Amino acid sequence: MAHTLSTCTFCGVGCGLYLETEGNRVAGVYPSFSHPANRGRICARGWHVHEVASSPDRLKSPLLRRNGQFHEVSWDEAFGFVAARLNQIRDRHGPDSIAFLNSPRCANEESYLLQKFARAVIGTNNVDHGAGVYCNNSVEILLDMLGVPATTNSIEELAHSEVILVDVIDLARRLPTVAGAVIRAKLNGARLIVVGTRSHRVAELADFYLRIKPNTESLLYGAMAKVIEDRGLMNLPFIKSRCSDYQPFLAQLRSYDLVQAAEGCGVSSELIEAAALAYAGARSAAVLYSSSMGEKSEQNIRALINLVLLTGNLGKQGAGIFALAEQNNLQGVCDVGVLPDRLPGYARVSSVGPRAAVERVWGSKIPVTPGLSARSILTDRGEGKVKALWLSRYDPVTTAFLPGIEDSLRELDLVVVQHLFMTDTAQYAHVVLPTTAFGEEQVSFTSTERRIQLAEKAIDPPAGLTPGWQQLTKLAGMMGICWKYRSAAEVMQEIGEVVPFYSGASYENLAHDYGRQWPCTKDTPLGTRFLYADHQGGTRFKFVPVQPGEWFVAPKNLPLMLVFGHSLYYWNQNVLIRHSETLKREYRSLFLDYPDGFAEISIEDAKQFQIRDGEKIRLYAATGSAVSTARVTPEVMQGTIYVPYFASDVQQQILGERGFSSKAVPVRVEKETA
Amino acid sequence: MKARILDRADVLKIVDLLRQQGYEVMAPFCGRGRDTYFDVVTEQNRDQVQTHFANPYYPPKRYVLPHIEPMLKVTRANGNVRIEPIYEEPKRAIFGIRSCDVAGIYHLDLFYLGGSFRDTYYDKRRKNLFLVNMVCTDPDRDVGDECFCVCADTGPAARDRFDLQLMDLGDEFMAVAGTPAGESLLADPVFRRGTEAHVEKRRAILDEVRKRFKTSTSWFSATVRYVSHGEVLEKTWEEIGNRCIECGGCTYVCPACTCFTVSDRQTGPDEVERVRIWDSCALGGFTRMAGGHNPRKAVHDRRNRRFFRKLAHYFIQRELSMACVGCGRCVDVCHGNIGMPSVVEMIRRATAEFENHEHVSR
Repeated sequence: MAHTLSTCTFCGVGCGLYLETEGNRVAGVYPSFSHPANRGRICARGWHVHEVASSPDRLKSPLLRRNGQFHEVSWDEAFGFVAARLNQIRDRHGPDSIAFLNSPRCANEESYLLQKFARAVIGTNNVDHGAGVYCNNSVEILLDMLGVPATTNSIEELAHSEVILVDVIDLARRLPTVAGAVIRAKLNGARLIVVGTRSHRVAELADFYLRIKPNTESLLYGAMAKVIEDRGLMNLPFIKSRCSDYQPFLAQLRSYDLVQAAEGCGVSSELIEAAALAYAGARSAAVLYSSSMGEKSEQNIRALINLVLLTGNLGKQGAGIFALAEQNNLQGVCDVGVLPDRLPGYARVSSVGPRAAVERVWGSKIPVTPGLSARSILTDRGEGKVKALWLSRYDPVTTAFLPGIEDSLRELDLVVVQHLFMTDTAQYAHVVLPTTAFGEEQVSFTSTERRIQLAEKAIDPPAGLTPGWQQLTKLAGMMGICWKYRSAAEVMQEIGEVVPFYSGASYENLAHDYGRQWPCTKDTPLGTRFLYADHQGGTRFKFVPVQPGEWFVAPKNLPLMLVFGHSLYYWNQNVLIRHSETLKREYRSLFLDYPDGFAEISIEDAKQFQIRDGEKIRLYAATGSAVSTARVTPEVMQGTIYVPYFASDVQQQILGERGFSSKAVPVRVEKETA
Repeated sequence: MKARILDRADVLKIVDLLRQQGYEVMAPFCGRGRDTYFDVVTEQNRDQVQTHFANPYYPPKRYVLPHIEPMLKVTRANGNVRIEPIYEEPKRAIFGIRSCDVAGIYHLDLFYLGGSFRDTYYDKRRKNLFLVNMVCTDPDRDVGDECFCVCADTGPAARDRFDLQLMDLGDEFMAVAGTPAGESLLADPVFRRGTEAHVEKRRAILDEVRKRFKTSTSWFSATVRYVSHGEVLEKTWEEIGNRCIECGGCTYVCPACTCFTVSDRQTGPDEVERVRIWDSCALGGFTRMAGGHNPRKAVHDRRNRRFFRKLAHYFIQRELSMACVGCGRCVDVCHGNIGMPSVVEMIRRATAEFENHEHVSR
């Protein structure tokens, strides 16, 4: 029996936990008491990591598809095939006909080498990560307005927040440890503002529950900003010394009206006012939103950040903006450059100086044209330009909700899938390369609070399986580029040379304590708890005016708003969950109860339209109609219908074959009697 | 019970004695920060065994009820199906198990072995398990902020249910045998007879340590009464449920929680393995029935169930043992601060207040 301290790899919190092993078997798991992010607590997923890790249906050898059937082949044959095909396709169609997508759960090292392989070996910027299917909005906006695309403070600082504002995210289901931190802060006297259409555990404890109509966040935050400005509660010293574009923002604010906003959001003006005053009156207030959610529009994120700047809630303990990464390494994969238009460290691919610096370290040129996004690649292969696709631990058929994915995969000349199990996506592959799982490799992940941490090797992987970063190294070698990485630590060393804020994050440093929060440089080897503490850097935060816009008034004949939900049911679909009996029961019995899918309807609406749970219903929109099964739940707000992202048939029937919408769609609902 | 004295410097010789007798000895080691854990003693780590340490978070119940336990294997060959049990009968000793956890193992014994059905897997693991209980004597190093064994009447020194009990008296340790197996160990020359003075010392130290628990009491008896009589308000359960994020942690870390589920996993084209895994009544699917009906779907109905199992008189009477040993782990593991002491207080306050106002008559 041995106890290995490691980092959980489910969600973005990155809880510290111990894996207990017996021989070469992971036999148990329990939380680390002293880890600063979770302090002895983990969630149901973490408690079953040992069950997933010991799951016996792992892929044990590479598979090659011949005549429609998968055959087990040797590693040499598999790699040889991939190298030859990549060369062929590149020679025939050019480097931009090849694309690389990974999962936001991939480790830093394999992600870094994936984008390096794409850029330095193949010669394309077609790299993106799975959550980029939704948008990389959050990255762009944070860079634009704050300068750094990450959560500004630390999870344990929530204990010091006087006010916590939770934007649209079900914390207890998505990042339970953060939900716990928020709940305990509230029990200790913090005041809680919760914004969102769906109700959830944390919302039940809110002091101010702003149950707004779908997609009206920017209207709400604008109205709150107006109240704060009217009462003179903005933090002028902060604004004057550290922000730019305040005047244009102020000018735009004049077009907000509290009463109109209340009507548009569906929340009383008294409540909006009270929440605004509470937020502005706090010595330090934190704002939490999800950076992984598809329906989070640019305007909504900008409006939220404007509020943070208006009240000066940056650069001090208990304040800040939490751009919550729902997957364990969403932050890390972006940091190391798995983005079509940005290099490791976030410089644009078209930049001159920064690109040259990376080229020097790599010893090769980097293409300057930004690549295709994951969405473009998966929906129509970049309008047919992409012929080959590499998918690293990514299972878009199951977890991405875009239309056309299966068709796109079928049309490709080469699909290479790296994964642990035979996923639904792998069924479309030409080559499947099994990789090592959590606990079988020493690699690093970067949590949502910028904490770069090690996940340790506790057991040996099944014979022949190698880590993703090693497979890419071998493949690069077979294509004529010699990388000399002998360990994940050496890959991290290079990441430190290329990403300035990782420059002090050597494995030796990371192995002390509990990882390091970046920036972790030679000058700040212990990492940085919260950002922007000093303003020596001369960073100017930027206000961006957000128009109130026309809020949507539903036509009389289509009185309900249908929301195509995104992240909420992500884990229910994720392949890992299927490998734990308990997690399968907790997350997937929903699919047993509603085998034909479901559309969630509020109790009030169900009563009004005389619809019972489990009954077939038809949803009529202006552009089409769809049949589904009603799931009646108090979580859904009256006037809305929530369709989970994986109900792609409903989405297509309502929006058309290639339809995709991050906005709510007006519908009416009727019992389907046929 | 027979008691002996040994020098402080000789305490780890007990580990050596047990190893010589063929036991795989699990002893406490320090991890990072406050983390401590039980691990196998080897030649290399023997000198790092701790005698004063924060109680290892991962409960020792896993030595009799593993977190994940292979139970049997089904193989198919030539049209025949064969079922083979996978048993483990380790000869194991736990050196340094705390008094609260000793009570926990005892409670599990009653559940798994005390009824009309004896759990074979549990039996085999329990049979050769030798418990060396370490009494908590150091208020700073041994006793945690959330411990409340004095309220659960399980500590700081277990009265029985151990094979051997060790207690730090200063320059010497007292060793008390609880079973014939423990007594046979006391024959070793490293032990010598004690005096009245040693007994006095023991009493004085325990008195001192008990004072440490003043700030973390858990007033069980009133709550047991309210829960047993069904007087707890629905509103109170809802308040408790509102703080639960359904992680299952409380049941997993609890030394007296017993629930499990069973899973069949395909390990080869003609082979299936059945494993037993800890389960939790905190999880929504725990009571889900085939067909979809779930009698405890709402979170506060599940919280209600947990605390009934722990506090209702019916259960305490059934086993003559309370399913809470006062170890405090549920306090540490809970995201929403609804560990046992918090819940006991919430129930006590809310119900007493209600009854004071309503003058409830029974």
